[in-house]
Amino acid sequence: QNPFKMSGIAAKLQHFREKSKGIGTNSHALKYLNQDFEELRRSCLERGQLFEDDCFEALPSSLGFNELGPNSYKVRGVTWTRPTDLCRNPKFISEDATRTDICQGALGDCWLLAAIASLTLNKQVLSRVVPHDQSFTENYAGIFHFQFWQFGDWIDVVVDDRLPTRDGELLFVHSAEGSEFWSALLEKAYAKINGCYEALSGGSTIEGFEDFTGGIAERHELARPDPHLFKIIQKALKRGSLLGCSIDITSAADSEAITHRKLVKGHAYSVTGADQVEYQGDMVQLIRIRNPWGQVEWTGAWSDNSSEWRSVSSEDQERLTNRSEDGEFWMSFSDFLREYSRLEICNLTPDSLTDDEYQKWAETEFEETWRSGVSAGGCRNYPDTFWTNPQFVIKLNEVDDDPNDGEEDRCTVIVGLMQKNKRHRRKMGEDMETIGFAIYDLPKEYSGKTQVHLKKNFFLHNRAAARSETFINLRELCNRFRLPPGEYLIVPSTFEPNKNGDFYVRVFSEKQADFQVIDDPVESHVEKIDIDEDEISDRFKTHFGQLAGEDVEISTYELQRILNRVVMRREDIKSSGFSLATCRNMINLLDKDGTGKLGLVEFKILWTKIEKFLDLFKSRDVDQSGCMSSSEMRVAVEEAGFSLNNSLHQIIVARYSETNLTIDFDNFVGCLIRLETLFNTFEVLDKDGSGTIELNFMEWLNVTMLQ
Amino acid sequence: QFAPSNPPPPRRPAVYAEQHENDEEKQFRRVFQQLAGDDMEVSPTELMNILNRIISKHGDLKTDGFTIESCRSMVAVMDSDSTGKLGFHEFKHLWNNIKKWQGVYKQYDADRSGLIGADELPNAFRAAGFPLNDQLFNMIIRRYSDESGNMDFDNYIGCLVRLDAMCRAFQTLDKDKNGTIKVNVQEWLQLTMYS
Repeated sequence: QNPFKMSGIAAKLQHFREKSKGIGTNSHALKYLNQDFEELRRSCLERGQLFEDDCFEALPSSLGFNELGPNSYKVRGVTWTRPTDLCRNPKFISEDATRTDICQGALGDCWLLAAIASLTLNKQVLSRVVPHDQSFTENYAGIFHFQFWQFGDWIDVVVDDRLPTRDGELLFVHSAEGSEFWSALLEKAYAKINGCYEALSGGSTIEGFEDFTGGIAERHELARPDPHLFKIIQKALKRGSLLGCSIDITSAADSEAITHRKLVKGHAYSVTGADQVEYQGDMVQLIRIRNPWGQVEWTGAWSDNSSEWRSVSSEDQERLTNRSEDGEFWMSFSDFLREYSRLEICNLTPDSLTDDEYQKWAETEFEETWRSGVSAGGCRNYPDTFWTNPQFVIKLNEVDDDPNDGEEDRCTVIVGLMQKNKRHRRKMGEDMETIGFAIYDLPKEYSGKTQVHLKKNFFLHNRAAARSETFINLRELCNRFRLPPGEYLIVPSTFEPNKNGDFYVRVFSEKQADFQVIDDPVESHVEKIDIDEDEISDRFKTHFGQLAGEDVEISTYELQRILNRVVMRREDIKSSGFSLATCRNMINLLDKDGTGKLGLVEFKILWTKIEKFLDLFKSRDVDQSGCMSSSEMRVAVEEAGFSLNNSLHQIIVARYSETNLTIDFDNFVGCLIRLETLFNTFEVLDKDGSGTIELNFMEWLNVTMLQ
Repeated sequence: QFAPSNPPPPRRPAVYAEQHENDEEKQFRRVFQQLAGDDMEVSPTELMNILNRIISKHGDLKTDGFTIESCRSMVAVMDSDSTGKLGFHEFKHLWNNIKKWQGVYKQYDADRSGLIGADELPNAFRAAGFPLNDQLFNMIIRRYSDESGNMDFDNYIGCLVRLDAMCRAFQTLDKDKNGTIKVNVQEWLQLTMYS
């Protein structure tokens, strides 16, 4: 997916650069697999050929790997057919997509259908996923494209229009009358990014909601409703959120069973309104629901022709009644809570709603990683490592507009924590990690300082102000909080420590909020060691003379021998011997006269450094194992005079630790020498002190090949 | 004028990739699965063992064996998500390059010494796709060759892997192709510490 994948860390840096330039937003979507829709369509039109997608071919492997695998009876007789060969007058999308009646095929992806159905209720959102400027007539070249949201980026996905069919019928999603194809093509594009059709079975509507909108979805169990749920629904509707509700089924036979009040079980409904009316002297809360079938409506209290409507004012009747058989009906909120099992709300990002009639959420987001031994600290049960998890600060200044609420001034925030790319790898046997987060009040003294990573002590002595309801192995965990104004620290983690993962945090707030990664600044405070020749003892001079030999200087090879002799004698430190590269770096760091070797004073300075490193290593090796654990390393690097951020701490462990995540003495020294050298080099290159250096290709190779 | 190896083609969905492998690729994948173990990733130690096992079978390549340090560095320059290990695609890319550069090495070892001498080096590197200027050659010889200016096989590979990766890193960051890149101290350290 990323053509620059093999360029190491540069790929990651470039990703963040592009992100900050707005690439990956809906209007600048990334081209999936580098396929450019316009370019491919133009070249097909020029050649007079219909597009054949060689990235998602019309082959059994695109259908599935197991139940829909090449040898399964379920795929027998399947052929790939273009809509133009299936019906006389295929349409991409008809004018009135809100009435679309899409039907499920032979794939367990009803969740996807429910999400597509909800999508059709919001034209603006639909047109982002399904660009409408495509058809089977104008510029038709057998190619179509769609846009999905994937872990923080919008991607543009092209497909050819060869669809899996059997006996002239579409195998999977199809429209009711059989001549409208956007939903079948959308399903194909979604199958493409997930690897195959089979990968789509058994997902959740929430995932579909999010991938189609970039929004953040919350789930409310109606058996235990949030006390403010009615208000939450009203606000959600004002914000243009997508709302779906459903009734759980207890057995497969229950699916689409209809209750005696005409509600369909195991079926995805949409919530389209919430209001209050005065009824017999009381205020009654009502909720409007729509059955995407366009028929089969609730027949209980407050339904279309129920008697309750006769006892409300004529204005209210005028405003709310709806008597046609269109699938839409009112019911009381208390009946809703009793009859339905679940409500899902997909809150939309501000950029998905250009319309002024909606109030918009403020959204902030950040990508980070958990890495074994460095930043995968596990949950609060692991106090030694919990503090190493990435940390974020959110500042809530303004309280909600909530005149009727009666409770203290609060700020509503929704925090979502998502693990990236795991679904795709499910085939490799990789499962979701169990994830969650905790929220702490930020101590006053840290206010405004975003560059201070909070340490172990803080978490030992402070309780969380709020936390995710559970730790769970889902793609995304999302919770709503009402917090007093203030600054908060969010700490996302896996349940157990040392689980590698990439994640994405989003915070939606009613009012604008500041959100920042809290991390240490990248700075060096290494003390310069100045030694005068007179200060050096005679003993050291004699010793140096013996080591240096005739040329009175110490070369890389001599240095390696000397250091290895020293470390091999010691049983209290582990070392696999100093590498030539490290010795070379030491000489480069201290060789002021450019001979490539160390004279007496230079060697004395190096020796002083190494003695310091040795003391540091010994004092930080708390368990006296002879090597350093990666979390001990983090503290030691700081004591040596380097303030580094999370990414750099991760790099140090990746670069210098053994498989068991320990760092031995030679790697410890190698790392510190290298850090000092690199800080120095940067300072030299940053002539004007602007904090940024500019290098041409030759300069770049010169500095990086020397390392 | 530089010709670093092309970035590999974009990732295809895994199912697609597996279906379209030829026999050689299928065999390679099986070998990789054996080498990489359960986590399907190759650590520097695993890489060192593989490389040293292979070169021990080639008597005509002079080498004192790949060191753990040079394997750590090779993994680092190819690893973009700082896990400290190489995945299948990264490893395959590395593997193909090593095979290619081994051919160049033998071809340019004019005196059959098993080493590349300072005088043979510019031609060998040019053939590998890296025509450097004298200043860079001098630096590379100082850094990667022994005291008499000869480069053995493990240093040669270590040097080319790094050179190749650094060229690609530059191209990645020079998105507007104006010939220069700008980095702040944090980016600088990330790029250079992890190499």
